[in-house]
Amino acid sequence: MSQNVYRPALDWQSHAILGRHLRVHLRNWHTAMLPPVAEPLVLLLAFGVGLGRQVGELRWAGAPVDYLSYLAPGMLAYTAFMTSFFQSLFSAFMRMRYQKSWEGQLTTQVRLEHVVWGEALWAATLATFYAAMVCLVLIAFGLAGALHLHWAWLPMTLPLLFFSALSFSAIGLLFTALLPSIDHMGLPFFLVILPIGFASSTYFPLPDHPWVTAAVQANPLHHLAEGLRWLLLAGKPTWHLAAAAGLCGLLLAALLPIDLKLLRRRVFGDV
Amino acid sequence: MGGSAHFILHPSSFLLFHLGSLKTRPTGRDSAVFSQVRSRTNRMQDIFHQPVTSRFGDSPLIEARGLCKSLGGRRVVDQVDLWCGAGEVVGLLGPNGAGKTTTLRMCYGFLRPDAGRIRIAGHDLAMAGDAARRSLGVCTQDDTFDSDFTVRGNLVQTARYYRPRLPHLAARIDELLEQFGLKEFADQKPDTLSGGYKRRLMIARAVVHRPQVVFLDEPTTGLDPQARVGVWELVARLRAEGMAVVLTTHYMDEAERLSDRLVVMQGGRVRAMGTTRELLGDVVGEHVVVISSSLHEIQRVEIWLRDRGLRPSTVLADWHFALDGDGLAAFVSSFSDLRYEVRPPTLDDLFLALAGEDSP
Repeated sequence: MSQNVYRPALDWQSHAILGRHLRVHLRNWHTAMLPPVAEPLVLLLAFGVGLGRQVGELRWAGAPVDYLSYLAPGMLAYTAFMTSFFQSLFSAFMRMRYQKSWEGQLTTQVRLEHVVWGEALWAATLATFYAAMVCLVLIAFGLAGALHLHWAWLPMTLPLLFFSALSFSAIGLLFTALLPSIDHMGLPFFLVILPIGFASSTYFPLPDHPWVTAAVQANPLHHLAEGLRWLLLAGKPTWHLAAAAGLCGLLLAALLPIDLKLLRRRVFGDV
Repeated sequence: MGGSAHFILHPSSFLLFHLGSLKTRPTGRDSAVFSQVRSRTNRMQDIFHQPVTSRFGDSPLIEARGLCKSLGGRRVVDQVDLWCGAGEVVGLLGPNGAGKTTTLRMCYGFLRPDAGRIRIAGHDLAMAGDAARRSLGVCTQDDTFDSDFTVRGNLVQTARYYRPRLPHLAARIDELLEQFGLKEFADQKPDTLSGGYKRRLMIARAVVHRPQVVFLDEPTTGLDPQARVGVWELVARLRAEGMAVVLTTHYMDEAERLSDRLVVMQGGRVRAMGTTRELLGDVVGEHVVVISSSLHEIQRVEIWLRDRGLRPSTVLADWHFALDGDGLAAFVSSFSDLRYEVRPPTLDDLFLALAGEDSP
């Protein structure tokens, strides 16, 4: 297989798979809308307002900032990460292993690279949609006078969130290819969500220690959260955004060919 | 051997015995079902013996040459040739593990062959995969519906996986629902269907885009006799519409009844090819002797067979072995005192013969 791994992302077959996931999702839109709206609402109320009252002010970029403001951009980044990772791991695994819908698709003009790209594009689309819902909740907080952000930058964050989510889905698909069974779902939590999710400056600032500072430079989620924070709190585009995009690009470039190779072996029993 | 005995014991194979000269008949409640099935299958035979105008066209719609495939370090398909013309049904027959499904999977582009070429409706699967895939439809062994969609939704969604798009899709789907008897279940989820109707949906889905070539991998495995005949009628219809159909099965009666031509696989290779009669003569022999293994003189028979390099197949308490004309004459003169039965060979014997060669 010396074919270009990335070109199938533009093929109509990948978009037909994306359309399939979208269609199923939109059919249940009234229930599908509930979690992306309710979750940030509850989290912002519980952590931002509730915990924030206990925390008081944090110091961020040398200036004091209230916890709700600190949390808001972090939540955008974290939502994109978690939604994409879960969709490409849990849901894709179910479709591959238990629903057998992959096998049905693969007997048509759709090939494995299209199924995989369809899953990745769908995970990123859903993650962006969830992030957009978070934006709406943030706007509601803003209208209520509880949150002050540079609102004009808010819609600009979505393309970067889409691209980041696409690269996070490549990690999810890696586990879809590798996990022997659904009982091993704890593994990605331990190996991915804990290190990437916690060492990311999304929900809390990291201790100012040279080792920690050095280590988080490799975490795209850290740069994404910090980049969005500078953008939304200070109105400044910073190098963090470029770093996030670069690291995500690297992740995508490195992992997708591996995902495809491993999934090919898994689905076809072939090398 | 155990697997082969299963075929003999399976209710569906009574049908074959019934049509042959073996005096085994289903009894009691079953016979009503079987006579009903039988009258329908006679009708099927009529369908099959009608000439089809587009049959056996100039060049085959499926043309596979020298297919080889190794999986997990083991060669599972070795130098297999396969072809099938418009309006023709080719039955791929063989014991479990013979390489039927792997051959089929290569032909419909699911697996890449290690060696060999496949052309579907004139398109090379390796060079013009998209056009080749547009021309073929697949019904896999397992049900692979999209359980998030209804019966109708499955057909619509599958059609979306083909370009150029099918014109008048809604009309085509209505037509399929009607033809395949799925109309009343159109708005149900496929999981709620019975086994026979699930298969119907799988086949309907395989032809939604009007392919020229259809692959059916064990289309009737696990179905009751009536549902099987229902599937047979659908296959007959596909054939009458001029499609090239390749199916795998390990039901002898099904292979015999449905196929214009049989390809028998064993150990990854094509062991024999041709019409049923040709095949039986080639591999099995002209006559099959059935004798009870509990007879006193059975040791004498065993020695007689061993001297001729023959080994009987054991089916329950009986021995089955094939002989040519001279062999039969010799047997009759040697064992004029014994009770036994002579019948023409069936595909079951072919299977037993092949399975016997497989076992050490």
